[in-house]
Amino acid sequence: MNWVDRLFEQGVRGVAKRTSRRGALEKIGMMLAGAAATFPLLPVARSEEQESDAAASNEGEESGLKETGDPLSCDYWRYCAIDGFLCGCCGGSHNACPPGSQMSRVTWIGTCENPADGKSYIISYNDCCGKSSCGNCLCQRNERDRPVYRTFSANDINWCLDTDSAIYHCTTARVIGIALDS
Amino acid sequence: MRGLPAAILLLCAGVSLHAGADEQRARVNYMLNCQGCHLPDGDGTADRIPRLKNFVGYFLHSEDGRAFLINVSGVASSPLPDSELAELVNWTLLNFSKPQLPVPFQPYTAEEVAELRKNPELDPESRRKRILAELQKTAPQLAIPPVAE
Repeated sequence: MNWVDRLFEQGVRGVAKRTSRRGALEKIGMMLAGAAATFPLLPVARSEEQESDAAASNEGEESGLKETGDPLSCDYWRYCAIDGFLCGCCGGSHNACPPGSQMSRVTWIGTCENPADGKSYIISYNDCCGKSSCGNCLCQRNERDRPVYRTFSANDINWCLDTDSAIYHCTTARVIGIALDS
Repeated sequence: MRGLPAAILLLCAGVSLHAGADEQRARVNYMLNCQGCHLPDGDGTADRIPRLKNFVGYFLHSEDGRAFLINVSGVASSPLPDSELAELVNWTLLNFSKPQLPVPFQPYTAEEVAELRKNPELDPESRRKRILAELQKTAPQLAIPPVAE
């Protein structure tokens, strides 16, 4: 059987001479990097992509909006009926959820007056869900908040109603339209 | 200009909201009073919130269904006055579920809404199932999709 041994030894040594072990690692690394460019490897919530689409269309509503005030302060005009942690203080912004949380589509809706133009805007307080409570910038202004027996207008309830997890993280304030003068 | 396509739709359909109806007011009232749960496009959510889109119009094929849409707690206990509530419900039916409506569509009047909202439904889920099951039997031509449990 010696000749079989020799044949394989020569073959393997030949491969070892012509190639390097690092080269193999390099190629595997390249493949992974290439795959990552096409298919994300980390486990991120796919719904985030839909949310960003929603946020993008929402930006259309918000473009051209006259702004004033600090979105990281409870006094900011959009927070007139807020009850929760500001997503801007939690790694997101006043209209986007922090990474790793999911925006609930089911939401508390109210109106706030924008001091920059004196008009009332329809604000959607979408909660971000799926991570434990953020704990930063707790704001409670509650204008036109109603008792819990008027569920649809109560901001005390947990609005994480159509998300994968009902754990509340923080609250956004998206402008979705202009209210009529009444 | 956002109201224009809907206005054209109404003209084409040969139906309109009752006299004095205000399209834009109905839209804003939908946003403020309904959209938070039923969602901007009336989709609802699969397990908890009933779908309006391509669905809510089925209820008008039965007398009890027509009453139910006003008796249902979110409508009956709405802070809106009767006239605006009727306008909002009519707008919702035409905007989200026109193909499912009976022809001719008889819009709700403020008086009808005033009467019906006096009796809020305490068990809307059971009554909804009952009405839809009845319609599936008596009006199979409507081909109402199976109701989620």
